[in-house]
Amino acid sequence: MAKKKEPAKPAADPSKLKVQDHKTLDALRSLAQEVLDYAERGRAPHIEVPSRSLSNVRFNQSRKIIEMGSGTNRRELFNLAQAKSYMQTLLVSSGCKQLIEQGKTTSIRGMFYLLKHTIEGTREETFETQDECDPIIEDVEVMLDALREELHLYAQKRGEMVGRITIVDKGDEIDCSRMGSGGYGIPSIVEPDIIQFKKCEADFILHVEKDTVWQRFNEDRFWEKNRCILTHGSGQPPRGVRRLLNRLHHELNLPIYCLLDNDPWGYYIYSVIKQGSINLAYESRRMAIPGAKFLGLRSNDFERCQLTPSVQIKLNEQDIKRAKQIAQYPWFASKKAWQKEIDMMLKNGFKLEVESLISKDISYVTETYVPERLEEGVFLD
Amino acid sequence: MSQASAADSSDSIEGTSSPAPEHRRRTTAEAMATKQRDISVSEFFAKNRHLLGFDNPRKALLTTVKEAVDNSLDACEEAGIIPEIWVHIETTGTNRFKVAVQDNGPGIVKKQIPLIFGKLLYGSKFHRLRMSRGQQGIGISAAGMYGMLTTGKPVLIVSKTAPRKPTHYFELQIDTKRNHPEIINGKGEGEDIHPGEKGLKYIAERGIAWVGHYPAPMRPVNAASASRSPEQAGGHTADAATGNAASSGTKGAEASNAGAASGAGPSTGSAVSGGGATGGAVIGGAAGTGDSTAAETPEGMRVGDELRSGTRVTIELEGRYIRGRGSVDEYLEQTAIANPHVTIHYRDPEGQEITYTRATTKLPPEPTEIKPHPYGVELGRLVTMLKDTSAGSISSFLTDSFSRVTSAVAKSVCEAANISVRANPKRIGRQEADALYQAIQNTRISPPATDCLVAIGEELILKGLHQVVPGEFYCAATRPPSVYRGNPFLIEVGLAYGGASQAQKVSLETLTEMLSESDSRTLRQFLVTTFDGIGGQAADRIMEESKMATRQSPGKLAKADIQRLHAAMRNVNLSEGQSMQVLRYANRVPLQFQPAACAITQSVIQTNWRAYGLTQSRGQLPSGPVTLMVHMASVWVPFTSESKEAVASYPEITKELRLGLQAVGRKLAMYLNRRNRVRQEGERRSIFLRYLGEVAQAVGRIRDMDNPSREAIYERLLNVAKRKTSEADARFDDRGKRLSEDGDDFGDNVLIVGE
Repeated sequence: MAKKKEPAKPAADPSKLKVQDHKTLDALRSLAQEVLDYAERGRAPHIEVPSRSLSNVRFNQSRKIIEMGSGTNRRELFNLAQAKSYMQTLLVSSGCKQLIEQGKTTSIRGMFYLLKHTIEGTREETFETQDECDPIIEDVEVMLDALREELHLYAQKRGEMVGRITIVDKGDEIDCSRMGSGGYGIPSIVEPDIIQFKKCEADFILHVEKDTVWQRFNEDRFWEKNRCILTHGSGQPPRGVRRLLNRLHHELNLPIYCLLDNDPWGYYIYSVIKQGSINLAYESRRMAIPGAKFLGLRSNDFERCQLTPSVQIKLNEQDIKRAKQIAQYPWFASKKAWQKEIDMMLKNGFKLEVESLISKDISYVTETYVPERLEEGVFLD
Repeated sequence: MSQASAADSSDSIEGTSSPAPEHRRRTTAEAMATKQRDISVSEFFAKNRHLLGFDNPRKALLTTVKEAVDNSLDACEEAGIIPEIWVHIETTGTNRFKVAVQDNGPGIVKKQIPLIFGKLLYGSKFHRLRMSRGQQGIGISAAGMYGMLTTGKPVLIVSKTAPRKPTHYFELQIDTKRNHPEIINGKGEGEDIHPGEKGLKYIAERGIAWVGHYPAPMRPVNAASASRSPEQAGGHTADAATGNAASSGTKGAEASNAGAASGAGPSTGSAVSGGGATGGAVIGGAAGTGDSTAAETPEGMRVGDELRSGTRVTIELEGRYIRGRGSVDEYLEQTAIANPHVTIHYRDPEGQEITYTRATTKLPPEPTEIKPHPYGVELGRLVTMLKDTSAGSISSFLTDSFSRVTSAVAKSVCEAANISVRANPKRIGRQEADALYQAIQNTRISPPATDCLVAIGEELILKGLHQVVPGEFYCAATRPPSVYRGNPFLIEVGLAYGGASQAQKVSLETLTEMLSESDSRTLRQFLVTTFDGIGGQAADRIMEESKMATRQSPGKLAKADIQRLHAAMRNVNLSEGQSMQVLRYANRVPLQFQPAACAITQSVIQTNWRAYGLTQSRGQLPSGPVTLMVHMASVWVPFTSESKEAVASYPEITKELRLGLQAVGRKLAMYLNRRNRVRQEGERRSIFLRYLGEVAQAVGRIRDMDNPSREAIYERLLNVAKRKTSEADARFDDRGKRLSEDGDDFGDNVLIVGE
């Protein structure tokens, strides 16, 4: 048993704790109390962790978002396969409690380092890598029904924004049209108490997949000419980006168009933005944007834009498997246009990245492709 | 001749052009006849000593001890005396040893002594069909002859048949030409020594070696018998006194104290003999008083009592003493396993004394002699028997000379052979004998009676193995008797699992000595050949651990090197690379050589030990800390050669061996499964325990608890964990039923140590 003496850290003044913090702390305490009760009665303790898998999500037809079901997984202390994750779950809980009480926030990587130590009397680490820690944090989120920021945690910042909007971030006014070439880094936590929208002159939002494409649009001042907000999420957008898009869409009534690769991964990024992810289905309500539209690239763009065959990337087995899987998701299954789109890609036998349009002309994508698509007004839904 | 004619014919084919070479006679039939004469048996064996196991000096030493001990045991058992054997080996020069073996057997009458020890092919065992160790009557006289040939020293025999009768003392030499003994002492008549004190005094004065009294239980000197503590040794003697095998240890200790006290009373008898017989006569005082608590030797004799009867044979011979595999030490150790009713006092050439104390005082029942079974008789033998018989008719010949032949069977045999039942056996011609032989083979005759076989018994195998082989699990199986070629036989298998290998028990001094004695060329070879249970793999690991060069010669190691090797042998986990040790026995005699040629080893290899939880490569002995003893008891053990080293594989024997091995294999598998379960439970528990501390701390932090309360949670969780793991263990039982602690049904005769 670890008898390490912990220096008594002064807890933050309880009066400074927010209402939300009290709620989270209560949830954490009752989790610990459960363990005590089990031990008291000489029973083997366990935790019910809501299941974060495809089998436990359902597609809400009316709200058009993925919602988490009521299925849970039991995590037992006295089960060989679960003993360690049980211990880790309690460690993460105790870490969050510490953060909340001290009124500080840390990254999930910071959390990993906060909790990582060698288990006394062994050579085993509580967490070997961050990959072990991250899913446990997500478990704790769902278990306590608390958002990540409510646990005083944030993920690494990823994704940028420029455009005709002025926001206030922790009291600092930021004009996103004056961000130079770098753009505004979208923080992990973008809740209204942190970020407020001050002034918006944009008509729509263009979300692109990656930094390189985003740079092209920014350099060409696309957002200026087309009165829009330009964002990217470095591939699968992190929660901060998705939450911000969600707020922009709902609070400012801005339509969202996504410019993603024509491959299964692009489809799934769109799917996550639109319906929410399977893994974080409990967050869908805050994050999903059912009104988001898929602008491109389309499977017929190879012919429509008369691209050279050298930009084709052959589909590998994994791509084909994933494409078929995505086609099966209930939120894709009922959409004929999407079925046709996926079918066509499979028939083509190749995928296309947004960057492939550069082969036509460096600014083809900003000057021709996107304006034309917006003009046509034909999007995949 | 055939070679010559072949050459001739090839000549004639090749040399068609040249004239055939003229045959010149080198010698004539008459000239050759002058050189043709009798070959004496002794001369034959003197030249072909390897046939009898005297192929090299090392083996000669072993064979000598072996033949003498086997004879002693046979004699004791036949006379119904619980055997006590003394084996003394003394170095008399470079590669010269004086081997003395003494027993407390019935002794030999004066007239027979020279013939038994001085004439080859003279014995009581050859002509009868009865289970005994010796079979041919060659052994001991051959050993004497070998000794005489190599050292020129006579064989010395001391024998005594009863307390009040004189002791006979002979010095013998063998006339190899005539296969006849020559008595050297007492003007060719031998010497008679007075019985009683006077005689013992004379023996001492003449310097004749003779152990006159039973020694007190000795403290084991050597590590080989270190498993027996003094208390245990005392316990054995006490068992003997009360005839109660289950006597408690404390009782035994008391008894031995009492015994020592009573022995020390009137004389120093027990003290002297207890200190180790000095080889010469040990003159003891009067025997202890008739105190009932006095420690007794099994035969009803008290410690320090005079030997009532016995025989001692001393042979000086050229030999080599090397410990390890195939050594005298190994032979005696293995003999002790298969003969748990025997006590052996052994003094090795370095003067160290080892005593293998008996585990039981019950003599094995006397094997009965049987007549041959008709199926086992060859045609030539049948013809001889027909000539020699005194029966008046074929019918009575068959019924009298063979077992299991009733007059009805005899009649059907005669009918099948087309011979009259009343025909005179002496007049049966060659062809009729052939027909008779065929008829016998084709007639259904019930198998021979098997009560002539005496098994060691499962219980005694366990005792014997436990006494000598350290381990944690022992089991045994005795198969019902079966028949090969008309000879009844039975197979017994004992198995010991666990325990350290011999190599890990060896002391630094002994290792140093062994290294200097070894004639292996490389250190690796030394390890593999010297120690049982070390295979090539284990040897390699020892070499690696000790950082020795593979081709290092064992004789040239520095002291530091030996120390490093010794440490490596202790530290390396040998049980992984250790191969199964197979102890083979035929009629309780250990078979130490030619393992590969033996049906027993072959059967062990062919058995699928993987099914029983051991690892085994194809065509190899299984590996693991396992000692297997396999005993074949038969009225006639089919050896592959005269030196009696390997059992021939008859299908019937192989089958019984397989069944016996499978029987112990199943028990071993059960034990290993259970052990694995215990281990798994332990592992499971340790995983839980590992995380409990963290869980308790985490809960404590969340609930802002102080350290003592955190400890309290930990303790509570710990209790749950303990209960949980034992429950889980019961639930996970492979038969799907909840088993209690000792619910495994191992059947009879299983010994589990240290649980």
